[in-house]
Amino acid sequence: MKFERNTLLVLGLIALAFPLLVGNQYLLHIGIMVLLYAVLATSLNLIVGYVGEFSLGHTAFLGLGAYTAALLSLRLGLPAWATIPLAGVVSALFGVVIGAITLRLRGPYFVIITLAFAEVLRLIANNWVDFTNGPMGLSGVAQPALLADASPLMAKRFYFYLALGLTAVSLYLAYRFVYSNNGRAAVTVRENRFVAQSVGIRPFVYAMRAFVLGAFLAGLAGGFYAHYITFVGANVFGFAFMVSMIIMVLIGGKGTLIGPLLGALLVTLLTEYLRELQELRLSLFGLIVMAVVLFLPNGLMGFLNHRRERGDRAAPDDSATRVQGGPA
Amino acid sequence: MNATHDDAPLLTVEGLSKTFGGIKAVQDIDFQVNRGEVFGLIGPNGAGKTTCFNLITGFYTPTTGRVAFQGHDITGHSPYRIARRGLVRSFQKTNVLKPLTVFENVLAGHYLSARQSLLATFFPTAPVRRAEREARDNAARLVTLLDLGARMDTPAYRLSCGELRLLEVAVALAAQPTLLMLDEPAAGLNSQEAMRFGGILKRLRREQVPSIVIVEHNMSLVMDVSDRVMVMDFGRKLAEGKPAEVKNNPQVVEAYLGRARA
Repeated sequence: MKFERNTLLVLGLIALAFPLLVGNQYLLHIGIMVLLYAVLATSLNLIVGYVGEFSLGHTAFLGLGAYTAALLSLRLGLPAWATIPLAGVVSALFGVVIGAITLRLRGPYFVIITLAFAEVLRLIANNWVDFTNGPMGLSGVAQPALLADASPLMAKRFYFYLALGLTAVSLYLAYRFVYSNNGRAAVTVRENRFVAQSVGIRPFVYAMRAFVLGAFLAGLAGGFYAHYITFVGANVFGFAFMVSMIIMVLIGGKGTLIGPLLGALLVTLLTEYLRELQELRLSLFGLIVMAVVLFLPNGLMGFLNHRRERGDRAAPDDSATRVQGGPA
Repeated sequence: MNATHDDAPLLTVEGLSKTFGGIKAVQDIDFQVNRGEVFGLIGPNGAGKTTCFNLITGFYTPTTGRVAFQGHDITGHSPYRIARRGLVRSFQKTNVLKPLTVFENVLAGHYLSARQSLLATFFPTAPVRRAEREARDNAARLVTLLDLGARMDTPAYRLSCGELRLLEVAVALAAQPTLLMLDEPAAGLNSQEAMRFGGILKRLRREQVPSIVIVEHNMSLVMDVSDRVMVMDFGRKLAEGKPAEVKNNPQVVEAYLGRARA
């Protein structure tokens, strides 16, 4: 708990200094994408890591957030400081509806139905031309007014700090949730539904809370995406985003707060670095994920925590723990 | 404790039955548990003791019959609602949160006392912080009370079988039960460990929870700690009474040892 909080604070300070030290728009853009993915991976992690079910439809909430912000901005002329929170709220409301249906299912059923929801929303976005402009998408989403006569570099810096703000809000909410009675209840449900019920926890409620919080954060990220990219098309519901989020959460380590951040950083940088390799890049990611699942089932953070635990124990402890053996 | 009902029985079970298809797992069971009493439930394997437990704690719905706890009808309620009334159970097959440490397991059991609104989760107020601190203090106290102090920060999957049973009891106690129901808490313990467990149970009764229902196969343990015992066989109640009386009941002897040849 302390370790995570301190690491998060240090990472936050580094991120605060980053735009001041870097004057390169391309690097700032990558920084912004890292932060955007950090929010998305954190939100997916609330579901994968704390509800304990694997969602393949998390892009539903990203897409709903992006379309909400784009439509509110284009149709009603609302400014970004209103559309981004509203994007989160709309996603959270859909999270309540989708969660109420999907959280009654376990394992593969949950995976398939969440995927179906994202796919249905993608089809609606593509075909409801009057409302969403169909495959042409919504372009020209307004940039915040104070960027009207800022230089491109200043604009990038502004977006970087906006993204950093969103990441900070997301991590604050996730941190509070995870280290509260709510988070403990969610973990108890994840680990053992019988124990959860026998100490008075209603399992559905806590799966739902984590799910809706995840939806809210993904909606915020979607709202930010709409304003930053200024274009929203049906691809926001697509599988490409989903794959990135999953890879980040798995590589970083599900069920930890730092893991998804680490995953977002590594995967975004690696994606840029390997850009020349085109399609081969995705195959590489496939192999990396397979290796992670096989050799580091709890991701990099799981690996590091394990090492830390061992280090702590190696010195003073007696042989008793070694005799007991490791995990079954 | 609730002063108005002091004389009324804590738990009343009337005509409880459960059938699975054609199998009558539990038939027409009646019993009462009084305040401050340790009530033992014994019987050969397959006698229906655990089914009885599941019926009372809401994990199964009774086919017929009625369960009342502290004067409230709880028949067929969900397990979490029954737990909220103060009737908390442990499981025969060990159920703990494996990757979490001993302390975290017991802390998770404090769910009810540390409940909070979602708003208070994100913007904690002073009472929430206090409840959280109390839950942590109490979790540490319970771990020590059950002789697991040395294992406080050990993940549950590293514990021995005996320690796991103690941890399960600690998690149940964390929910602050009025009546604690233990399903074979000494299963898998050797006789020495079981004796130690009996000592801990007596301590719990003095310091933590006065009323306990215990299902157990270890006769010396159950006869030692119980005030009254009920014997079940083939889903029916065979006998009920003080341990010494029940031990000499011919029907009970027959159920355990078979009929003497004439």
